[in-house]
This record gives sequence, C-alpha cells and structure tokens, in this order.
Amino acid sequence: MPVFDFFHWDKDKGYTLAETGAILQVTVGIPPALEQLCLRDGIAIPAPITGYALIDTGASASAVHEQIFTDFGVQPIDHIPMSTPHTKDKFSFVYPAKIQFPGLNLSNDAFLSTMRVVGCELKWTTFDNKEIIMLMGRDILKWFLMVYNGVQSDVTLAY
Amino acid sequence: MPLEKELVLFETKKAELLQTHEGKFALIHGDEFIGAFDTAENAYDEGVKKFGKEPFLVKRISPDPEVYRNQAFMLGLMNARI
Repeated sequence: MPVFDFFHWDKDKGYTLAETGAILQVTVGIPPALEQLCLRDGIAIPAPITGYALIDTGASASAVHEQIFTDFGVQPIDHIPMSTPHTKDKFSFVYPAKIQFPGLNLSNDAFLSTMRVVGCELKWTTFDNKEIIMLMGRDILKWFLMVYNGVQSDVTLAY
Repeated sequence: MPLEKELVLFETKKAELLQTHEGKFALIHGDEFIGAFDTAENAYDEGVKKFGKEPFLVKRISPDPEVYRNQAFMLGLMNARI
C-alpha cells in the first residue's frame, strides 16, 4: 500500500497544519476527451492550473473553483442542489475535470481520469501563500486511509 | 441557464429511466436522450465525440437526487480564524 506523507511546516511560521488545514498540491486540467478534441481541431490545449486542495471530510463530493472552468471554456454537465440547514434552493453546476495530485505518485490513477466536480466560488490564499483551488471531498477520500497527526503537523494518506 | 432543456427532459423521462437504467448515467443533448452509460466518464466521452464543446447533460439515474453536502463551506467556515 503506497503511503504519502504531507508534513505541514513553514520556515517562518513553524507547524502550519492547524492554520491551513490538511492541504496537498493539485493540478486541474480539461478532461482527456476534450484534449483529444483540441488536438483534432488544432486548438491549443489550455494549460492545467496548479494550486492546493484542502482535504474536507465534511464535503460529500469534491469542488473546484468555478472560474477555472470558465477560463478553460469547459461546459457544465449537470446541475445539482446544495444541502445545508442554512441554505435552501441553491444549486451548483457540475463540471468534468482531469484532477491530478503531483504529491500522490499513484501508478493506477484511473479513478481520477475524468472526475465530476462541483463548481464553487472558493479560491483563497492561506497565510503562507498557498492558493486553495479545490476541496477534496469524500468521493476521493473513499480511496484512501488518512491519518491526521495534529501534534506533528502531519497528514498521511495511504492508497 | 445552460442545460435547462436537458434537465426538463431528464425529469420527464426519469420514471422510465429508473425502470430500465437505474444506476447508470444518462446522456442528454437538447431534447434528445442519447443513451445510458455505465460510467459518467463514458457518457462524457460519447457526448464530446457527438457534440464537441456544445453543452450536454450527464446525470446519474437514481431515485435519490445527487446532492452536494458541505456544511463548513456553506457556513463560510472554510477559512475562518477565531
């Protein structure tokens, strides 16, 4: 079972896990089918966007900053309700995306080739200048064993 | 709104689709049901093959609607410092 360790530390701030939450680098790109279409039509493939994903065990699915899809020119493929005791009648679009985690050197990442992700307004920058562009929800976490070590400011994912 | 026509068609056909294709993903373009696929990825790939960059719907055929649940995000607590 491959094990990946994400030590949250900053040279000025020290241990940062409690401040930033559990984060790992992520790359968001257009789905492979659209890449093929671009190649066929001689259109430049939009460069993938790299940022950080916040691991969010409270999220049923993964979400990505919606503007990224607007910039890519990727159309939504679904429209689903959002549930919370504080909001009613709110809906979000669902987008297809190629999601990759450079820190997870997975040999078999078929489950991430084209994902359905929710589009949300969620981009922000952590105090140590890491740009959050994604919430990694339980739809991805279901593949992993996760250890949150608050004392050592460390998160371990095993696949 | 994108996908408006497709969502209406899905709701119209939902009972029938549940009987024949429950658990699969419906591909709908405009007011045409294209087919049901085992995975969302297969449905999407077929949609791109047929319709390119035009909008089309890829929706799970399920009696329970797919809902995005995220309490902290909705409450604005994702980046709160207390």
